[in-house]
Amino acid sequence: MIALFWICALVAIASGIWTISSRQPVHSVVGLIVNFAALAVLFLTLNADFLAMMQIIIYAGAILVLFLFVIALLTIGAQPIEQGPGRLAFQAAPSVVAGLAALLVMSAGLRVAWSQSASAPVLDLGSVATFGQQLLTTHVFAFEVTAFILLIAIVGVILMAGRKELRF
Amino acid sequence: MADFFLGAVPLILLFPLVGAATIALFGPYVQRSASAFIGCLSIGLSFLLTVGTSFVIFPLSPAQQTLYTHSKFVGYWAHLPPDLIIGFRLLIDPLSLLWMLIITGVGLLIHVYSVSYMASDKNYRTFFAYMNLFVFTMLLLVMADNFLWLLVGWGGVGLASYLLIGFYYDRPVAVLAARKALIMNVIGDVGIMLAMFLMYAHVGSVSYQNVFGHVATIGTSALTWIGVWLLLGAVAKSAQLPLQTWLPDAMEGPTPVSALIHAATMVTAGVYLIARAHPIYDNAPAAAELVAVVGGVTALFAATIGCVQYDIKRVLAYSTMSQIGYMMLAVGAGAFAAGAFHFMTHAFFKALLFMSAGIVIHALGGEQDIRKMGGLATRLPFAYWTFLVGAVAIAGIFPFAGFFSKDAIIDAVLKLHHPYLFVFTVVAAGLTAFYMFRLVFLTFLTGAYRGDHEVHAETERTMTVPVAILAVLSLIGGWIVLPHHDELSFLLRSTFADAPFPQSMADFNGWLSFGVLLIALAGIAFAWVAYQWRPQIAAALHRSLGGVHALLTNAYYFDTIYHWLFEWPVLALAQWLRDAFEVDAVDALPALALRAGAYFGSLSNRWETGYLRRYGLTFVVGAALLLFIYLFVAHGATAGAAP
Amino acid sequence: MPQVPLNLYLELSAVLFIIGVIGFLLRRNPITMLMAIELMWNAGNLAFIAFARNFIDMSGQVFAFLVITVAAAEAAIALAIVVMVFRRRENADVDDISVMRG
Repeated sequence: MIALFWICALVAIASGIWTISSRQPVHSVVGLIVNFAALAVLFLTLNADFLAMMQIIIYAGAILVLFLFVIALLTIGAQPIEQGPGRLAFQAAPSVVAGLAALLVMSAGLRVAWSQSASAPVLDLGSVATFGQQLLTTHVFAFEVTAFILLIAIVGVILMAGRKELRF
Repeated sequence: MADFFLGAVPLILLFPLVGAATIALFGPYVQRSASAFIGCLSIGLSFLLTVGTSFVIFPLSPAQQTLYTHSKFVGYWAHLPPDLIIGFRLLIDPLSLLWMLIITGVGLLIHVYSVSYMASDKNYRTFFAYMNLFVFTMLLLVMADNFLWLLVGWGGVGLASYLLIGFYYDRPVAVLAARKALIMNVIGDVGIMLAMFLMYAHVGSVSYQNVFGHVATIGTSALTWIGVWLLLGAVAKSAQLPLQTWLPDAMEGPTPVSALIHAATMVTAGVYLIARAHPIYDNAPAAAELVAVVGGVTALFAATIGCVQYDIKRVLAYSTMSQIGYMMLAVGAGAFAAGAFHFMTHAFFKALLFMSAGIVIHALGGEQDIRKMGGLATRLPFAYWTFLVGAVAIAGIFPFAGFFSKDAIIDAVLKLHHPYLFVFTVVAAGLTAFYMFRLVFLTFLTGAYRGDHEVHAETERTMTVPVAILAVLSLIGGWIVLPHHDELSFLLRSTFADAPFPQSMADFNGWLSFGVLLIALAGIAFAWVAYQWRPQIAAALHRSLGGVHALLTNAYYFDTIYHWLFEWPVLALAQWLRDAFEVDAVDALPALALRAGAYFGSLSNRWETGYLRRYGLTFVVGAALLLFIYLFVAHGATAGAAP
Repeated sequence: MPQVPLNLYLELSAVLFIIGVIGFLLRRNPITMLMAIELMWNAGNLAFIAFARNFIDMSGQVFAFLVITVAAAEAAIALAIVVMVFRRRENADVDDISVMRG
């Protein structure tokens, strides 16, 4: 189990760094797919069977395909982005420093607050049946709100991208 | 029937309020005559109910004559001390009934009179709304059963008076007069408040029953102060010395207003207050004596000024002041029934005088200067005869109303053994007869008409009928107190049962009455000599007594003194502050704040780059800092203690 | 089979999150920035699911599911904005888009 975790963790970190560092957006998407797959395996180790499947289907299957479509649509004939130095002079080094400092604070805080050992697994914790029952009983209001958010997102996207005459 | 009238007592108060609200809300949507009709109808209904209530109350035995309506809204108000419980309930006793009869009765006559008098005014509806509001607040004043609700009515009549004095709001003089009246009245309101604070401190209540029931426990010194502060309120409302200067200016209001508010009812509220609070004055002789002195001095003071004024309404205003001085003198002397009696007769003949004068003013197109009148007796015979009745009544000629009431007061003053006050009243009686007949001669007789206005005929029925009714009342109104048959103090006996001074006016002092009558006749005779028979005598007096004349014409320079004493220092201070402080100190601070804000704004503006990534960096740094503070600074101890 | 301690999952979540943060701050291509944001969402999800297992409470998993849907909505709208920006200007460097400066 530990070995599996470490393998997945290293894959996730490496693919994450690959995602943010590659020049080509398509490469980034590939890195992200690998990252999500590693995360899906981790979800499985955490008894989240349903979410692991969702991770693959929604993220890798839908959202990242959307990214690929946009990349394919926009980069045809467009000049590559990030040519030459950025105009924000004092950005790169402080960003790395601030990010690492935040990581330091977070892990230090974790060490202080959460040093428990893992509890025993519960086999049917994340099964589709349990998950569905929870989602549609206890959390049904949040579920409905999410549906509404998705509706608004659909309407907004159609408004923004669908009508060429809309100018702002 | 009795139950009906006693149950309908709240309606007496409610009708004028409903009338005022109706005219104010719906006046613009109905005809002008409709709002006048509503105004008269509401007062008329109140009057009918008051009369009915009187017929129920007066025949009862004294113990039953004081009636309280069921108390509404009794309870604890959050902003009052918890032990101060003030209910809203109405008090009906012979004293308040007498005032209510006059307020609604004379009020009804004056409302009817106004229907024609104000007919050409553009704010006709507003006028009736204000007048109804006045009647409501005045009724509230006399029907209240505690000092707090009395003060509400007290302030309310002040407001109505302010609105009606300033009714011709496009005249700057009227607006100034209204403001002056309001300020002086508010001084009096403060006096009543101070008296209420003292009552609460000593008795823990401001209701009449509790305060008057515990008069003996208050102590003479505090009681005297309560009396003095109440007197301050009465002095302001009733235009007595030294807060009298607003009343002559108040004549800027329409004449019906002068008749109703500034002659018959509101200015007598001070008399009502002292009479109502008589247990306090019975037990505080010093305060009572102060009331008497204020009244007596004002009676003489105002009478002297009245002798030289040329504005017909101003003469009547000073005469009102003087007559209220008589009433204050009476209640100060302890003769409360006599004061109430004079209030009643005065309401009749003074309203009559104002309304007759109003007919003259109306006929002359707004002219009020008696130097531009004269010889009107033949052109306006109705106004002449009614005014003459009023003048005879106020001069105190037998058998008109003023004779009986003034005689009762002078009789009471004689029993007071206060020689100066007695002399004042007698002299003022002679002066009253003089200046009233000076007015009669200069206005209606004395040669030909001196003005340049066209004289309109006096045909309006709604104006003449109320005046005629008041003329009759001015004649017979005094007969309620005939020798050996004193009905009025009999009616009022339950209210003043515990007053030490004998209230009965039946023991007729024939020689005194005869003497005062002679003095009044002498005043009339002198007026006839000086203004009718030999006008050059008046002119000669004018020349030889120029200084005195100027003093009287300017009302003893009270306005000038108040101007330099109170008004000028405040204005000068304000001017100085404006010049010296406002520019340099007051204006500089906001300017400094403005510049500081702009400076810091320009500093923080540099952060506002528009670059998304820079915002993100700032955000991350801030989030990391907050997390650090949260984990290791704010909760450092507990986090460190955890394993 | 020894269980993986909760802390390891949380540490991994923090590392992935910071990778996303640094990517967002460093890159100028809006599409790559969006992907960095997706990384952050998933780091958060990992923490949620780890806690859900630790406390045997399904709320964490349900919340992760809601995060996925909201992330999908966010991605759709953000990509629509990117498409519009690309339509208006040939270059979509985020540093060029600073007209909202106050």
